[in-house]
Amino acid sequence: MRVPRSERILAYVILIVMAILVLVPVLAGSVTAFKPQIIWVSSPPTWIFEPTLENFEFVFFTRKGWLFLRNSLIISIGSVVIALILGVPAAYAFARFRFRSSKALMQWLISLRMIPPIVVGLPFYAMFLYLERGLGVGLRDTFPGLIITYQTFLLPLVIWMMRGYFAELPAAMEESAMVEGYTRLGALWRVVLPVVWPGIVATAILNFIFAWNEFFLALILAGNRTSTLPMSAGTYIVRTRVEWGNLFSVNLIIMVPVIVLTIILRRQLVKGLTFGILE
Amino acid sequence: MRVVLKDLVKRFANSDRAAVNNINLLIEEGELAVLLGPSGCGKTTTLRMIAGLEQPDSGRIAIAERDITNLAPKDRGVAMVFQNFSMYPTMNVYDNIAFPLHAVKMKRGEIDRTVREMARLVNIDHLLGRSVRQVSGGEAQRVALARAMVRRPQVFLMDEPLSNLDAKLRVQLRTEIKRLHQDTGATFIFVTHDQEEAMTLGDKIIVMNNGDIQQAGTPHEVFFAPRNAFVANFVGTPSMNMLTGAVSQDESGGIRLQLPGFDLSLPERFSRGLENMTGNRVIWGIRPEAIKLAAEPGENCAPGEVELVEALGSRDLIFVRVAEQLFGVIVDALESVAVGDNCHLHFAAAQMHLFDAESERSLLNNLPSAVPPSQWGGG
Ligand SMILES: Nc1ncnc2c1ncn2[C@@H]1O[C@H](COP(=O)(O)OP(=O)(O)OP(=O)(O)O)[C@@H](O)[C@H]1O
Ligand SMILES: [Mg+2]
Repeated sequence: MRVPRSERILAYVILIVMAILVLVPVLAGSVTAFKPQIIWVSSPPTWIFEPTLENFEFVFFTRKGWLFLRNSLIISIGSVVIALILGVPAAYAFARFRFRSSKALMQWLISLRMIPPIVVGLPFYAMFLYLERGLGVGLRDTFPGLIITYQTFLLPLVIWMMRGYFAELPAAMEESAMVEGYTRLGALWRVVLPVVWPGIVATAILNFIFAWNEFFLALILAGNRTSTLPMSAGTYIVRTRVEWGNLFSVNLIIMVPVIVLTIILRRQLVKGLTFGILE
Repeated sequence: MRVVLKDLVKRFANSDRAAVNNINLLIEEGELAVLLGPSGCGKTTTLRMIAGLEQPDSGRIAIAERDITNLAPKDRGVAMVFQNFSMYPTMNVYDNIAFPLHAVKMKRGEIDRTVREMARLVNIDHLLGRSVRQVSGGEAQRVALARAMVRRPQVFLMDEPLSNLDAKLRVQLRTEIKRLHQDTGATFIFVTHDQEEAMTLGDKIIVMNNGDIQQAGTPHEVFFAPRNAFVANFVGTPSMNMLTGAVSQDESGGIRLQLPGFDLSLPERFSRGLENMTGNRVIWGIRPEAIKLAAEPGENCAPGEVELVEALGSRDLIFVRVAEQLFGVIVDALESVAVGDNCHLHFAAAQMHLFDAESERSLLNNLPSAVPPSQWGGG
C-alpha cells in the first residue's frame, strides 16, 4: 500500500512523540536503578556517577525478590500452560465447527477481554472465601487459585489468536489425513499442530507477557505465599517516601523479559494484536 | 469395488434447499465415473458423503456390497484427492507419500519400497527430498495422487484435482489419471465442472444439477441422447442451440414444428411421441455441429445473416441470426464465411432434439434409463 508522503511524515511525528513520552521516564528510571541511594533523588538529577548493583542486591536478597520472581514465573508459566491446554482445542472447535450458539459464545469470549479486572477480582475473592469457609477448599493466596483466576483474561486471548491460525488452514488438510487412516485427533496431532506450532509459540509468549505484567488480580487474590514481582514493586512505595532506586531495579527485572520476548516476537505480535481488526 | 448410493439426501443448516436431493447411483467396479455439473450442484457434497467427511441426512452408501454409511472416513477403504489441498506443508514429498502408510504400521523397508514405487508411477521420483516450497502446482498434485494410491484403495475420489492447474498441465495430468485408472483397475469417481474433462475421462458421466442427478450414462449417451434440456444444454461446447416452438400437423399427417421465423418437418422417430401433441409447446434443440450452410433454400432450412465469426483453429464458430434467434454454427475454417453474409441454415433431421416445454424431458423414447432400483446392495 502506498501511503502519501504527508501522511507518512505525520505518522512518524506521532510515533516519535509517543516514543519520547514512553521512553524518557523508562530510561530515567532505569538509570536510577543503578544509582547509589544518596543520589536517587538529587536535584538537579545526577547523570554522571559510578553505577552500582547495590539496589538489585537489596531487592533481590534482602527483600526476597528472588521469591517473588519465582512466584511470578510459576503463576505466569502455569496459567499460560493451562490456557493453552484448554484454549487450543477450543479455538480449533471454533474455527472448524458450527455448533449451537458458537458465534454468541465467541463474542462473549471477546467481550471478556474488555472487562476491568476489578469486576473479575472481587467476585473471585468472594467465591474463594465462600469455598474456604463452606467447603474447606483454600484457593486464596495459592498458585492454583491465581492460575484459575488468570484464565479469565488469558483463555479468551488464546482462543481468539489460535482460532485465527486454525481458520487460515484449509479444512481439507485434516480431512485428507482422516481419509488416509487417521482419526480427527490423530490428524490434528500429526498434520495441524506442526503447522500451527509457531502460532502456538507466539500465543504462549504474548499470554506470558500479559500474565507476567498482571497486577490487580494478584493484589486482590495473592498473599504472602504467592506475591508476584509487580506486587513487590508496590512495596517500595510507602506512605512517607518512595524508594526510587529499589523500585526501579524491580521494574527493570520485570521489564527485561518482556522487552526481550517482544523483540523476538514482534512480527507475530502485530498479527496477533490486529486479528480483530483485519477480520 | 462397486459403489452404490441409495436415496441420499444432504441438507445443510441455514439452507432451505437440499445440497443433495435424494440421489440414486450405481458405479460399477473398475469404472471411471465423472460427476459433472455447474457450480453448487452438489458434486463435492456427494463425494464427501462417500468419503465419510459429510454425514447424509438420510439414505445409504455401500461399497462392495458393504453398507458404509456410518463408518469413519479412515475405515472406508477410499482415497481422496482434494481441489485446494495437495501436500502437508511440514513434510517433504517422501514423507507426504509415506504418511498414510504410518497409519497402518507398515514396516520401514516396505514403506520405502512402496513410496518409491508410487513416486515413479506419477513421475516424481526425482523430487522425493523436496519440500512444499520447492515443487510446482502440478508436481504437488502428483504428490497428492501418489499419496492417494499408496494404500492401494479400491475406490478413488477426486474433487476437481486439476482445476488449479494451467490448461496444458491439466490435459497432461488428465491422461495420467486415465492411465492410473487402467493400471490400478480401481473404481474412480472424479468430480469436475469441465464437460470436456468429463468427456475425455469418463466411462460414465453423471450430470447433476440442483442436487439431482439429471442423467447417468456413457459420454456418448449424454452427448447424443440427453434426457432433458439441462443435460443437452450443459454438455457440449459450443452449447446446443435451443428454441421454443409449437407442434403442428400438415395435411398428409406429417408432424411439423412451428418455430419463430421458420418451420420444420420432424423426422419419423419423433412422430410416435408427438402424435397427440398438436398445439403443445416444445423445446427444439440442435448442436452447432449439426447445422450446415446451404446456398439454396430447401426442406428444413432457414435463411439468416452471419453476425459474428470466432476462429477455433481448423474450424470457425459463427453466429447466424434467423429472425430473433442467434444460431451457433460450426463450419470449416476454409469455407471463409464473413460477417454480413446471407446464407441458409440446414438442420440435420437426424440430430434434432425435442424436449417437453414444461417438464423439459426429452421426447425421444429410446433413452437409457437411470439406475434400476433392484441393483441396490447387489440384490
Ligand atoms: N458446509 C456447508 N454449509 C452450508 N452449505 C453448504 C456447505 N457445503 C456446501 N454447501 C451448499 O451446498 C450446495 C452444494 O455444494 P457443493 O460444494 O456440493 O457444490 P459443487 O457441485 O461441488 O460446486 P463447485 O463446482 O462450485 O465445487 C451449494 O449450494 C453450497 O452452497
Ligand atoms: Mg465442489
